[in-house]
Amino acid sequence: MKDRLFRLAYGIVRDREEAEDILQDMLLKMWSRKEDWKDIGNLEAYCFRAIKNMALDRMATMALRKTDAIEREREDFYFVDNQSPHREMVMKEQSLLIERCLRELPENQQLSFRLREIEGMSYREIADTLSISEDLVKISLFRARKKMKELLAGYDS
Amino acid sequence: MTAKDDKHIGTLLQKYWDCDTTLAEEQELRDFFSHSDLPAAWQPYAPLFAYTREEQSLSLSEGFDERLRAAMEKETTRRENYITIRIFAPLLRVAASLLLIVGLGISIFFISRQNNNPWFVETYGDPKIAIKDATYALEKLSLALQTTEEASLQTIRVIDDLNIDWSALDSIVTEEITADSLEAVTQDRDTLNIGTFIPGGKKEKNI
Repeated sequence: MKDRLFRLAYGIVRDREEAEDILQDMLLKMWSRKEDWKDIGNLEAYCFRAIKNMALDRMATMALRKTDAIEREREDFYFVDNQSPHREMVMKEQSLLIERCLRELPENQQLSFRLREIEGMSYREIADTLSISEDLVKISLFRARKKMKELLAGYDS
Repeated sequence: MTAKDDKHIGTLLQKYWDCDTTLAEEQELRDFFSHSDLPAAWQPYAPLFAYTREEQSLSLSEGFDERLRAAMEKETTRRENYITIRIFAPLLRVAASLLLIVGLGISIFFISRQNNNPWFVETYGDPKIAIKDATYALEKLSLALQTTEEASLQTIRVIDDLNIDWSALDSIVTEEITADSLEAVTQDRDTLNIGTFIPGGKKEKNI
């Protein structure tokens, strides 16, 4: 559960330390409000929602203090070992491309995609986490996958 | 890979793009795309499944639980301190109220005591003696005022008798002091005999 929450935070902020920090803050907050737990219907969805909101808030503050240095993931790409096989480099590049494409998607599409593909959540669980309807989850996921398909098909040609 | 498998994966992939796959089917696709010998037609989609596999493998760093425990302990101390303050808060309120009441009480006590002290006290028992004493005091005052008035009039009269040329005196003050003006002043003084005039002394004598 902790790892899943961490991955969601990481998926949003794309920074390990920040993501762990957010998770710690969230767990502390939850722990200090133990007496309210019984009033929360779906504790798991509640935690995911809290993590999502906190990570988005953190992103907003991070954007303010972000410098224009090379991004961490891109840094890996720039300084990739010249000796590594061509295929590996291409894979890495495509992974970066997917990452960038995902980040450019609207919030609901991006999060629906992450929660479904990475966390393996059902449509109902995603709907609870994002506080949207199941239909909207399906539409968001459909659009995100379509975008990925177009991106990858186009990249190969 | 058989043609049947091929078809099956093709169908699954189509279902995947249409969002009709179940979670199990999506896992099947992920497993399939993890193989290195993929048919060329499906090669382009391999990075997508590789990406999700990679993201799934992410986990918290080892020291996280330890850090969380430390933070929780710190939070407990902070909360305990807060709870202590909260327990004592009503008592503090009572203490503050008491202090206020005592302060008000003392202030009211002093104010009321001050008001009990009358400004004028009747010291005479007999009105006749009081009138007599008051008349005597007033006569003394009247006499003193009269004497002063007469002395003042006497002084004015003496000054008038001196026949001082006031305009000449004024010009001494306003004009620039030059050798000429100084000479004029000396002359005036000689004629008027101001040097011998001692108002204080005369006044003393008259009184």
